Amino acid sequence: MFVPHSNIDLNTIFDELKISSLEELFSHIPKELLIDGGLDFDESLSELEATELFETIASKNASKLVCFAGGGHYDIYLPPTVKSLTMRPEFMTSYTPYQAEISQGILQVLFEFQSLVCDITEMELANASLYDGATSIAEAISVAINKTKRDNIIISQGFNPNSKEVINTLIDGDKFNIKYIELDNYLFPEDYEFNEDDAAFVVSFPHYEGSAQDLTELVNKAHAKGLIAICYVDPSMLGVLKTPGSMGFDIVVAEGQSIGTPLSFGGPTVGWFATKKDLARLVPGRIIGETIDSNHKKTYVMTLRAREQDIRREKASSNICTNQTLNAIGSAIHLSWMGPEGIYQVGYQAIQKAAYMKSELKNSGLKIKNESTSLREFLIETKIPTSEVLTKMGQKGFLAGISYSDNELLIALTEKRTKKEIDNYIDCFKEVNNG
Amino acid sequence: MVSGGNASSLPLVGGSAEPTIRELSRPGRKASKYPNLDVPEVDLNHPALKNEKAPLPEVSEHDLVMHYSRLAHRNFAVDLGFYPLGSCTMKYNPRFADYVASIPNFSNTHPATPSEFTQGSLEILHILEDYLTEITGMDHASFQPPAGASGELTGLLIIKRYLQNQKLDHKKDIIVPDSAHGTNPASAKMAGFNVVEVATDQRGMVNIEDLKSLVNENTAGLMLTNPNTGGLFEEEILTISNIIHEAGGLLYYDGANLNAIVGVCRPGDMGFDIVHSNLHKTFATPHGGGGPGSGPVAVKDYLREYLPGPIVVKNSDNYSWYTPEFSIGRMHGYHGNFLVALRALVYMKLLGKEGLDTLGSYAVLNARYLSSKVSKHLPLAYDEPCMHEFVATVKELKKSHKIKAYDVGKALLDKGFHSPTIYFPLIVEEALMFEPTETQTVETLDDLAESIKLIVEELSAPGVNLTDYPKNLPVGRPNELIPAKHLTVHWGDFELLELTE
Repeated sequence: MFVPHSNIDLNTIFDELKISSLEELFSHIPKELLIDGGLDFDESLSELEATELFETIASKNASKLVCFAGGGHYDIYLPPTVKSLTMRPEFMTSYTPYQAEISQGILQVLFEFQSLVCDITEMELANASLYDGATSIAEAISVAINKTKRDNIIISQGFNPNSKEVINTLIDGDKFNIKYIELDNYLFPEDYEFNEDDAAFVVSFPHYEGSAQDLTELVNKAHAKGLIAICYVDPSMLGVLKTPGSMGFDIVVAEGQSIGTPLSFGGPTVGWFATKKDLARLVPGRIIGETIDSNHKKTYVMTLRAREQDIRREKASSNICTNQTLNAIGSAIHLSWMGPEGIYQVGYQAIQKAAYMKSELKNSGLKIKNESTSLREFLIETKIPTSEVLTKMGQKGFLAGISYSDNELLIALTEKRTKKEIDNYIDCFKEVNNG
Repeated sequence: MVSGGNASSLPLVGGSAEPTIRELSRPGRKASKYPNLDVPEVDLNHPALKNEKAPLPEVSEHDLVMHYSRLAHRNFAVDLGFYPLGSCTMKYNPRFADYVASIPNFSNTHPATPSEFTQGSLEILHILEDYLTEITGMDHASFQPPAGASGELTGLLIIKRYLQNQKLDHKKDIIVPDSAHGTNPASAKMAGFNVVEVATDQRGMVNIEDLKSLVNENTAGLMLTNPNTGGLFEEEILTISNIIHEAGGLLYYDGANLNAIVGVCRPGDMGFDIVHSNLHKTFATPHGGGGPGSGPVAVKDYLREYLPGPIVVKNSDNYSWYTPEFSIGRMHGYHGNFLVALRALVYMKLLGKEGLDTLGSYAVLNARYLSSKVSKHLPLAYDEPCMHEFVATVKELKKSHKIKAYDVGKALLDKGFHSPTIYFPLIVEEALMFEPTETQTVETLDDLAESIKLIVEELSAPGVNLTDYPKNLPVGRPNELIPAKHLTVHWGDFELLELTE
């Protein structure tokens, strides 16, 4: 239905090619390979019929669960302005900006994205996006391995289990030793001693469990032993959190969904990757640079291309080609929309609302596991299995959190949650939790 | 000038350079407003918090909207004109899929929501798995890989784990044609394999004798795209697959060129064991300026338990997630690029049987027509019937007039077309690789061929300065050395450079 040819067009083409049917196009393909009788599919749908089909399937998802789940993906207010600008067809239906002269729009937005990411993390060089937060951690670890030529990865246990699984898939466990360090009362042990054969110190800020600490001293200790320090940061909290750059980190990665992308069932989102310039030549993925054209006019262009797979092939810094540009564009526009005050409100209100919820839950006799060290996200103990809590709370219209263990629930607050929603949640939770 | 197809006018707005959003920033301006805090405020005294505000731009909403809209005006796109970019399948992206992907029950679902509340999303993946496996001739699929390169790595990790389980750890060689996409060897290296390159023969296909000489007990597998990157169908594919299988290796299909064969023939029937598809190419999801994509991997039955999980299974009365027994593990934090997968299914449903049965045929028809037209002005790299794309070469013009593939590409931009892919495949000198896709009209194809003719004449004329091209765009050829040398990758960097030099 998206083929434009009329019968007249087809005759024109057939005449040019001196053929009389589509089948003749494939006379060089071995006969036994040609599909006989066509594929086993239903007839095509009109848009009206497809609307009914897909709306019906969509209705099988629970609608509008009030979201108290986080773990890297957050229900942050995403203004229609950001969505409509990101979905401009010039951004949405273009390809990778290999031809700079007709791609200045994408190139400049990506350059702004890189600059904004650097500014709010206090780093020097960001790339134009990776797939998501989890894969970005693995890419950062690869950079550290390549830089230090060492084999041990020192990584905090305080990561989303899915992210740890991605790391275990992408970092070859036969060659490298991935050493997970248990948190001590939900914080990375300050007295941890690194070794001179460790390649990387990898830590989440805040930790998956929601607690956070000033990591400056640990980064100093890691640097003293020659490690690359990698910070996985919650980007929507960067209006209030200390910057990873100010704590001395060498590489910052993030799950960028909360900045510019709807929850999207987890994809497509965007991985942020920022670092210092001395690691530039090990960075995975595309990088946009500012330059001038032949008339000395400001121009943007893809740069440091000699790292990439289409040029270096098996010697490339990564195999990434298609990335998450459109989501990076969303991040840039959302950051510009929020401004310094907006991103501050997003972080500050999330922490205030979490503080309120923690104190109300405590007043109801519930146990908060990490009350004082947590910010917008925290763990509570449940009396009944968390899977049951999630089911029963779901029936009452809440996504109650993420199951952390059989009897611990991870709850996240964003600036979007209202006092009324929190109060309702707690009322329902008390009822559910008492069986 | 040209015959009046829909790509004949320059769609881009030039004028003076657009400032950056930071240059537009003024203290005190803002676009955002948030509700007042509705819970009792407490003192936050926490060692992880800072006192100063983040250094973001301060702009009004109108300034913000104008800025990004003006930038959009400086970007070519499928919605503006013809993008004959070989290997990238820049076909029309149906708007209707945008609507479906924005239904809140799909777009606003948190990925950690228990499956009992996301039955609709699981059903989408299940139906799409049926479509993909029927089209490719495979049995099961995982939607974990977020892009083609990730799909390649997935396939290679499956091969690795499978061979380990068979106690065949010594099999470490992955054979890759010298014409392959760069992601193939890069992915093989990432998976821990040795990359062994097989030569291309005179006709532009895998050199069977060379392949035989490279295959031995260490062969783990072969990565191949069919049609290959020269746009040619590997006519000896059944021989190739026998050679690899007899050596105990597996066949991996790089789905970059799948558009050529949808409804014509199937990788599964050619002997491939693992296939990745690029939903953003073959199944018309928007490329987004370089992403997001989606690179689901489909396998034959015997490899199902190696797929990256979790995958969707259908039970008697519901759908659930299942992690395969020997799974290579996750390739993505959650379920891959779900909304991209959803758009692909929308496209397949709109095409239906009649559209999918003929998809590859029309893609090949347009390429064959365009190659016939272009070949009147530029020689083709191979004297073989092309599939969905073809490669022309300007090596003769380079000898006679110093005109490079790069120059032809730049001159085409002035005519309102995107450049074809240049210098790829690497084995063809001064290559121009055209892929028209099935959604372009005869007039547009004629326009492109006519423009090639005009460009060859224009660039060969005496006194032409090739570096002047393109002439009519927002900017001319960029100086690529400055950013590579001085790392001007952040908005302070270039000014700093000017001050110091």
